[in-house]
Amino acid sequence: MPAPTAPDPEYSPGLKLLMRGYQQADDKAAKALIEQVSPRLRRYFWFQAFTRRFADDLLQETWMRVHRARHTYRPGAAVLPWIFAIARYTALDHYRRTRRVELREMQVEEMPDCPAPEAEFLREAHEMDKMLADLPEGQREVLVMLKVSGMSLEEVALATSSSIGSVKQRAHRAYTKLRDVLAVGGRRG
Amino acid sequence: MTEEEMDSRNAKSAPSTGADGVAGVHEAVLEEIQRAVLADLRPVSALASSGILTLILMIFFAATGSAVAWYLGLGGFEALHAYQRALIFPALLIASWLAAVACAREMRPASGMRMGPIAVIFCATALPLVFLMALHNYSAQNFVTEGVPCLLLGLKVAIPTGVGMVLILRRGFVLDWSRAGFAAGALSGLAGVVMLELHCPNPKAFHAMVWHVAVVVVSAVLGFALGMIADRVRIRATL
Repeated sequence: MPAPTAPDPEYSPGLKLLMRGYQQADDKAAKALIEQVSPRLRRYFWFQAFTRRFADDLLQETWMRVHRARHTYRPGAAVLPWIFAIARYTALDHYRRTRRVELREMQVEEMPDCPAPEAEFLREAHEMDKMLADLPEGQREVLVMLKVSGMSLEEVALATSSSIGSVKQRAHRAYTKLRDVLAVGGRRG
Repeated sequence: MTEEEMDSRNAKSAPSTGADGVAGVHEAVLEEIQRAVLADLRPVSALASSGILTLILMIFFAATGSAVAWYLGLGGFEALHAYQRALIFPALLIASWLAAVACAREMRPASGMRMGPIAVIFCATALPLVFLMALHNYSAQNFVTEGVPCLLLGLKVAIPTGVGMVLILRRGFVLDWSRAGFAAGALSGLAGVVMLELHCPNPKAFHAMVWHVAVVVVSAVLGFALGMIADRVRIRATL
């Protein structure tokens, strides 16, 4: 069941070399790494309801953290789980920060003008949201990493500091729930 | 609906390479990230492997616990029989190894599975059980008056050890300071217990089960609380 975003075999070793180059201050490697990983990271933020509006900001914040943490990458280790582990906590910190702000902020009568998000992206995200709405956070995150960011089971397990068995179980439960949701939707439609 | 059909549906809703450059990422955003990263690009040497970090933490733990006991006197060690030593010290070593591994894993993103609740429950129950099996004086006389000084002495070792642990942890990139604080607190507390087992000649089982083990509990909770405060301060600073 190959998804279009699934990692291709040539890709991961390339990332390892780029990451090593980044650690050695090779600017070409750093640029290439950012170009190659950013789309996956942005998708990860985009397809989670609470981080969508801030996907670009979170992408930048994640790279700043990656930059500060680059010495903790072990040469030869998988790159995506390492970066996504940082991205997870960037999203989590954002969630905590937003909750704090929401508790303090006051409702304004008129919403200020803000740049319109890409219509196509928004439609796709809403479609995804509807499907994922009933899933618990852990199952939704695993599904987004597997199917949207195109990571393997092993990579997701590393990024979430859990076992492969636990990732498989969460993905399986998510599929079962989605299947039920889609079956109900299909009968109504 | 099959998994294949769901994959195809998900794939359709995943962003494709758009006019804005790299699949959904605006060129301007990408350039800004690259500019920020390249402006501060210096070579870095990779952090030591998790095994070496664990070893460093273990050496630090063992050195502080035993050095203080050496300074105060090894009355506790001398009072124990060989079989009691053979039960107590390996148990302490296993518990501290688990805590050191947990600490080392917190220093590096995606460095492996975290210690689950089973490991924590094992550590929390194994030590009192070992004390119960090794020590056969079940008197509870002067339980509090003899216990409080031991707890305080253990914490006097655990707290500076914890500060040292934090300095080691800061060499890495900790994502979750509350978890890291818990692990570092537990390891520091175990340094306090090692010191007490070497120094405290009290042979009562309940004394060791409660007051010695309490050093680990208190310092782990303290580490967790301080880690949580550190996380909150960090989040508040970015508001």
